[in-house]
Amino acid sequence: MTTTAKLDVQDNNPVAALQELMRRMLERGGVGGVLTPVHLGRGTPMPTLVTDPAELALADPLAPAFPMNGAKMLARLTKGHSGERIAAVMRPCEIRAFIELAKLNQGSLDNVLLISVDCLGAYDNTHYLRFKGADDAIQTTLGFLGKVGGGKDTARDGYDLAGACLVCEHPVAAAADVSVGLVGLDLTAALPVMAETAKGEALLAALELEDWQPREDRAEALARLVERRTQERDAMIERTAEATGTLAGLAEYLAGCVNCLNCRVACPVCYCRECVFATDVFDHKPWQYMGWARQKGMLKMPTDTVFYHLTRMAHMSTACVGCGQCSNACPNDVPVMELFRTVATRTQKGFDYEPGRSMDDPPPLSVFKEKEFEDVVSHMA
Amino acid sequence: MSNRIGVYICHCGTNIAKKVDCAAVARFAGGLRDVVVARDYQFMCSDPGQDLIINDIRNLGLSRVVVASCSPRLHEKTFQKALARAGLNPYLLQHTCIREHCSWVTEDPGEATAKARMLVAAAVDRVDRHGELFSREVDVLPDVMVVGAGIAGIQAALDIAKSGHRVHLVEKGPSIGGHMAQFDKTFPTLDCAACISTPKMVAVAQEPNIHLMTCAEVVEVSGFVGNYQARVRLNPRYVDTEKCTGCGTCLEKCPTKVSSEFEEGLGTRKAIYRNSPQAVPNTPVIDPLHCKKITKNKCGACEKFCPTGAIDYHQVERFVDLEVGSIVLATGYDTLDPTPLTEYGFGRYPEVYTALQFERLNNATGPTQGRIVMKDGRSPESVAVIHCVGSRDKNYHEYCSRTCCMYALKYDHLLKDKVGHHVRVTNFYIDMRCFGKGYEEFYERVQQEGVTFIRGRPAEVTDRAIRPEEEGKLVVVAEDTLSGLPVRVPVDMVILCTAMEARQGASEVARVFGVAQGQDGFFLEEHPKLGPVSTATDGVFLAGTCQGPKDIPDAVAHASGGAAQALALAARGRVAISPTTSWINPEICVGCRVCVGLCAYSAIEFDERRKVAVVNEAMCKGCGSCAGYCPSGAAQIKHFNEPQVFAELEGLLMDLERPGAVRVPVEDGDQGPLPDEHPARESVTN
Amino acid sequence: MDAQATQADAGRRRDAQTAPSVAFEPTIVAFVCNWCTYTAADLAGTSRMIQKPNLRLVRMMCTGMVDPKYVIKALLSGADAVLISGCHPGDCHYINGNYKARRRVKLLKEILPQFGVDTRRVRLTWVGASEGNEFAATVNSLVEEIRELGPIETRGLKAL
Repeated sequence: MTTTAKLDVQDNNPVAALQELMRRMLERGGVGGVLTPVHLGRGTPMPTLVTDPAELALADPLAPAFPMNGAKMLARLTKGHSGERIAAVMRPCEIRAFIELAKLNQGSLDNVLLISVDCLGAYDNTHYLRFKGADDAIQTTLGFLGKVGGGKDTARDGYDLAGACLVCEHPVAAAADVSVGLVGLDLTAALPVMAETAKGEALLAALELEDWQPREDRAEALARLVERRTQERDAMIERTAEATGTLAGLAEYLAGCVNCLNCRVACPVCYCRECVFATDVFDHKPWQYMGWARQKGMLKMPTDTVFYHLTRMAHMSTACVGCGQCSNACPNDVPVMELFRTVATRTQKGFDYEPGRSMDDPPPLSVFKEKEFEDVVSHMA
Repeated sequence: MSNRIGVYICHCGTNIAKKVDCAAVARFAGGLRDVVVARDYQFMCSDPGQDLIINDIRNLGLSRVVVASCSPRLHEKTFQKALARAGLNPYLLQHTCIREHCSWVTEDPGEATAKARMLVAAAVDRVDRHGELFSREVDVLPDVMVVGAGIAGIQAALDIAKSGHRVHLVEKGPSIGGHMAQFDKTFPTLDCAACISTPKMVAVAQEPNIHLMTCAEVVEVSGFVGNYQARVRLNPRYVDTEKCTGCGTCLEKCPTKVSSEFEEGLGTRKAIYRNSPQAVPNTPVIDPLHCKKITKNKCGACEKFCPTGAIDYHQVERFVDLEVGSIVLATGYDTLDPTPLTEYGFGRYPEVYTALQFERLNNATGPTQGRIVMKDGRSPESVAVIHCVGSRDKNYHEYCSRTCCMYALKYDHLLKDKVGHHVRVTNFYIDMRCFGKGYEEFYERVQQEGVTFIRGRPAEVTDRAIRPEEEGKLVVVAEDTLSGLPVRVPVDMVILCTAMEARQGASEVARVFGVAQGQDGFFLEEHPKLGPVSTATDGVFLAGTCQGPKDIPDAVAHASGGAAQALALAARGRVAISPTTSWINPEICVGCRVCVGLCAYSAIEFDERRKVAVVNEAMCKGCGSCAGYCPSGAAQIKHFNEPQVFAELEGLLMDLERPGAVRVPVEDGDQGPLPDEHPARESVTN
Repeated sequence: MDAQATQADAGRRRDAQTAPSVAFEPTIVAFVCNWCTYTAADLAGTSRMIQKPNLRLVRMMCTGMVDPKYVIKALLSGADAVLISGCHPGDCHYINGNYKARRRVKLLKEILPQFGVDTRRVRLTWVGASEGNEFAATVNSLVEEIRELGPIETRGLKAL
């Protein structure tokens, strides 16, 4: 049974309401700091660790901007002990990625409260900046949100949400301690703050918010949203699968790849300190290149691009949360997110694995059973 | 500086040369990058063959060697030693197989030659990436720990002690002897179990090299082969073994009677007790759960009457830390509790016995002083012996317990012998498995004694009589599968041949000692045929039934095997640790600890300070479970690392043609589609 | 493609036209464990069990050390199929390396078909040390199967 508290919205400003929620966490929630996006200048809001409630004036977890997945930042804040508890008010895909990182001991849930806010999606970086123009950042967010959460995904003032958001069927993070509801709700009245775990329950009790029994509009609207996005996702997967249905198609798809490894730097679940493709294992000698070129009469440079992406699929596709930061980071606009989500759908289904769902689900390649997947074994003789 | 590689193609008489054009392969190899000499020779493994390599290393300054001959499983060591004799690190060799995998199995000589060339190309590419590796030797601590003092543990301990090495023998129970001490006679010779086991138990007590600990459990083991640290918990006995003379006065004076585990519930013991007058050690033990002094602070009779003041109600558990070079596990087995097999009525009908209960009924020190009588004191007129209770049964244990057929025959004989020839004995069996020395003869003998054998697993044991002769009897209902007819056999007594199964605490023991369990719960040996006493953990050996059901001769033989393995380590005093282990590069490791969980040998530890995984090379077997996972490539198996495997792959596939080209079988090994003088070709080198 | 064919290639093609059945010879890379399948391959050899020459063995200590990268690399380098073969379940020399290999093969079998790589091109089998005949039969049937499948796409891909 989850406890729900009421977060009043004053002056039609849900952003201010969330700032109030974070202020209470700092002042009476036993929380030493809050990690959340803050508008720091004219650009996109960045993940910021706020310890002084006075610094929350420009905090904006609802801004339709997503310059980076904050999971890696939260991992840094929780790997080892700071001695203090922090809260992270983040998007579901950030929380889900953080859960994956925590499973791999890159962060810890011990001293963190995960606050998930219903995700209405975000623009990619350039679109956000154009959408905002010279307007006030918070007002821009309020303009994006409108009166009812999650009314539409696209074409606000002619701008579409980022591709990853349009096809994201996870507007809620299952593993959060506390969820803040937006979808389908009147954002000008009050927001439900729901405790999902015992930790969340304790936090809510400390925040001294009023208990609340909101109307059930959210569940229905969420279901509609998820259904819409799932359809979009499936259509996207179909398009991508068609384009990459052969190795030639894949090579063509990845033709713009310059092996910069930006996608793996931006990827919240690519957790290696150094990508193996950046190590000396892939430092080839000049005469090796000549040899390869001779085999086919030519050699595309840089080499190992298809190899790199296939390997990355093997390494992280089961953990892919679909945040789309890979596409965001690509200098040559390779639609990396579409490719990885397409493969991830297969691999995650294959292992019946949903990344970020629960700490109790071990990463598929970290465990094994005596009796399983017997269909992948051939008996030829 | 580039390597100087020598390549040696062996003819193996005609074994290779008949199919593979060795000279052509050598010519091809001579054209490969960094190859300074390529020769073919009749027998590379012969002394002159090896000298060829040694001289080339010395005269031509070779830094790497490739030998293409038989399987490396045969001669890799031979050639590694040749390299060592020439002063080259043995791991700078790559041995590739062109006999078993090529000349002997390929029909067409051209194809065989082409395949040999690719194998050699792969070996040349690979060896270029080899590095020097050094085996490490560590000292082996001279002492051995044996865990469990049933007949297997006793045998292992005595064998080791005889060699002069010290043995720490750890027994959980208050006395040693295990199940064998409960038995009466042993099959097929019918010698009395006590007569043959008691001298061994006494020998343990008297052996100066054996440090016996009873009421003791190993709670923690760390270290690796040759250097194990074990912590043993000594549970309180409440009787000072130094002061106790074993006079037995306390046993008489204690007023509290408890059902006896040793008598399998058929008899009672006191709250202070010992399993039998021959128990070793002879010191009684107080059962703290039932002693009135300990539970309620009343009574105190034993203390009052003890002539030496040996009773100590205030004893507490103590810990002993041991350092040993190896460990022999002899933790034994449990017998299946037949209560869940409700069709056999155990626990419901008083005259249904387990096999161990029947052993106690037979035993002169048992509850009936060895008389086979029913609970009412009468002798049974008819007895049914049901085989395979919980064995060969998918619902309980799929395996055969291996001993039941034989002890069932022993019971048949004992019934005829002790109660009288008139006793009707009926066996219900699935198959008679009498495979040991003298076993089939014993079966023959028992058959001649007039025992009935019905092939069929009984459906039930019931007291519902439907015929007059069944009144007041237990009726065994079965199908005789040989005649296909249903049978109902009324008997006075039923004996269930209960399965041997893994000890209840086996998984905890497996965890403490780092050994694996098979699906049946028994400890897993290193190899089912060739490594039946060793385990995947070097320096931990198995003895007796903890590895699987065994009879006494097999358990004793197995135990001697375990002792020999432990002694082999102790006698040499040094153990070489293979260098082809995993290594985790701390610069790359990000500390996700997945490898720690994947390692079957607990050989990877997490360094909390540096936040990286660290391989304990002494425990690592080099299986590569960690490397196969590690996405960053931080974990690598030495001698099987990524650059080496990639290089081998590239060499192996260097002949794949340009698009559109097709390959046809080559008639002449010399004129294949492969560029013999490829000026520059791919391969990974430093 | 014709334009790129060298003279030698053209010559071979003429041969191929006269005998189309030998037009395509698959190349198969096999990662086999030292203790079971490599030993079985030795035994097949000792027993002179004739095998197609298309299989090229890479000796690994255990299937558990076969990094999925090795399989991907082999396929991208033009191997028409990759065989991974180790000890039967329960017989692994390293207790459970084969189970870990099975999960990794499962993963590859989810990824590669997305790009048109037939799942039959990545094969996992268990061949025990005593099963020389199994090994030879596995090789021969695999070669036939891959021959029917045709060459892997990477062979013809220039820009990869």
